[in-house]
Amino acid sequence: MTYIYSLFQYIPFIAEGVLWTASLVLGGLGIGFIIGLPLAIAQSFGGKKLGKVLNAYVWFFRGTPLLVLLSLFYWAIFPSFGFKLDPLKTSILVLGMRSGAYQSQIFKDSIKSVDYGQILAAKAIGMTQRKLILYIVLPQALRISIPAWSNEYAVILKDSAICFALGVMEILTRVRYVSTATGLALIPYLFAGILFFVLTFSGTGIMDFIHKRTRIPGMVEGLR
Amino acid sequence: MEFWSEYLSSLLMGFLTTSELVAISAPLGIILGIALGASRVYGGIILGSFARGFSALFRGFPLIVTLFLVFFGLPEIGIYLPPVTSAILSFSLCSGAYISEYVRGAIMSIDQGQSLAAKAIGMTKLQEVLYIILPQAIRRAIYGISNEIVYMIQYSSLAFAIGVQEMYSVARTYNSLYFKSLEIFSLLAVIYLVLTALTTLFFKGLIRKLEIPSKAE
Amino acid sequence: MIVLRAEDVWKRYDDTIVLRGVSLNLKKGETKVIMGPSGAGKTTFLKCLNLLVKPDKGRIWIDGEEITSPKADITRLRQKIGFVFQELNLFHHLTAIGNVMIGLTKVKGMSKSDALKKAKETLKRVHIEEELWRKYPAQLSGGQKQRVAIARALAMDPIVMLYDEPTSALDPGLSSEVLLVIKELSERGITSLIVTHELGFAYEVADEIVVMNRGRIIGGGSPEELRNAKNDEVRNLLNKWNGLKDGVLV
Repeated sequence: MTYIYSLFQYIPFIAEGVLWTASLVLGGLGIGFIIGLPLAIAQSFGGKKLGKVLNAYVWFFRGTPLLVLLSLFYWAIFPSFGFKLDPLKTSILVLGMRSGAYQSQIFKDSIKSVDYGQILAAKAIGMTQRKLILYIVLPQALRISIPAWSNEYAVILKDSAICFALGVMEILTRVRYVSTATGLALIPYLFAGILFFVLTFSGTGIMDFIHKRTRIPGMVEGLR
Repeated sequence: MEFWSEYLSSLLMGFLTTSELVAISAPLGIILGIALGASRVYGGIILGSFARGFSALFRGFPLIVTLFLVFFGLPEIGIYLPPVTSAILSFSLCSGAYISEYVRGAIMSIDQGQSLAAKAIGMTKLQEVLYIILPQAIRRAIYGISNEIVYMIQYSSLAFAIGVQEMYSVARTYNSLYFKSLEIFSLLAVIYLVLTALTTLFFKGLIRKLEIPSKAE
Repeated sequence: MIVLRAEDVWKRYDDTIVLRGVSLNLKKGETKVIMGPSGAGKTTFLKCLNLLVKPDKGRIWIDGEEITSPKADITRLRQKIGFVFQELNLFHHLTAIGNVMIGLTKVKGMSKSDALKKAKETLKRVHIEEELWRKYPAQLSGGQKQRVAIARALAMDPIVMLYDEPTSALDPGLSSEVLLVIKELSERGITSLIVTHELGFAYEVADEIVVMNRGRIIGGGSPEELRNAKNDEVRNLLNKWNGLKDGVLV
């Protein structure tokens, strides 16, 4: 029992890990958005050749395990381009590039679900391609994307734990330290699991709320 | 040259371990997923809530945390599992939880008339679910299931963390011994990409084979 | 003065030739109606006029400028052509008034307040009353949607309005409110080209009716002239329409 009591002193240490996890998740989602949205637009409205090149990007990042991507970029690719990035920066970039591939699929599907008649109508009132993407397609596609995007948050949150493999000081890495220091495993890892569980479902809850607030009567509901 | 022959043969061993992990976990996960999915719809209050809670739990926990809980945590309550068994148990639980989502959704999408027709010819609830609903629902869920199996192949690399000598763990060992990170991890990435592509292809074929013929071709 | 001119327009999809050299002139203030059986190429022809469908051959002038010229500024010329779709293509994410305003602010570059004023005026012209202005498309009836769509096109101050079967996607009871609006606009001198199946409406509103069949114009004239049509093919088609209930050719 005294062992278990001693665990309490580590709570602030683990809580600090939430900040690291949050930077991994928010950084990854942000970079993923910056990559994913233009990618989806180019895949939907660009030519076939461009589409093939972009598909290769998506295929690579979706088909390679996150652990392998982290290792590849941390030990091989970034150093060979001459910059030695620390584990946190590497992890955020890799999570972001990978999430970009997934997010591009989300946005592509949403863009596809905006019916073609509206695009014709936008052309008929004299909109250029750029304007009709900006004012007609994206406002609808982004709303439609919210549920799938919220799922992407849950995925990237859980994936962020994998960055322990590079020693990023996120939640799991710290729990492992605690486990080693105290010789206890069940309660620390259960605590980590519950923490991720709460973060997952509170995050998706917030996204549900946003989805309801931005809902437009009769507009296509979100993708699965 | 020596590096390559050594690395390749070790990687082959790792590949066999990875295959073992997936070949056992995948069917277990699918069976668990179907059972959980069906329980969530037909299980009543007790079994239904248990299945819902179970599936939410393992979807909310990162797989790597489940893995550590099983391997490092369970011994504290007297359950000792070897690394490979721990990995298989964790992968099955996690993919079962996710697959149950697809199965549940698919069951709900089957129209009420099927269930009424089954009752009308005198089937019990169990017969109706087993012979009428599930054969249709699984066909609808199979695309989602195939995605989960592809994820499982990728996430099986996490087993390195509890000392399973699968492909990633082999690569990581060689990475610490030789200054050949680019070669080591690029080759590994290619292998996973090929495995992903082959699995996707396999399931595409399976989906086509299981497809119920219709006019809308 | 001719505001819209099409000369020898051809279009083929894969193996089917949809348009086989269609020519047409539209004078300022004039209302023309195109009639013909399904598959005659009416809709394709209309969509060729603002290049929503690219013709394979033929030239089209709008207000004296050739829209089919490779140097043409298509988006600018399209603003001169109001187009009303069969499928009620309102923008789902915008309210009724938002649908009318978006072209004014984003295409014409009008200020929000000017656009709002203009949108309100235009919606009133198509009898969409204030309580409907803030509704989303899904909250409007088919007839209301189509009138908003007319307002959206009209607000751009086009020199010609094109209507592509504006009532065929509507429940029968809802067509009259839309046809009434089109008639009012046409009577107030808005140059109009209307594809429709409603023969009674065509006789009422048209200065001239053009009959199309199998990708060609096979005849035409004022409603008076058509009643005494000499051309066998035209007469047969007209007899068929007259024999149908309510003059609607399905």
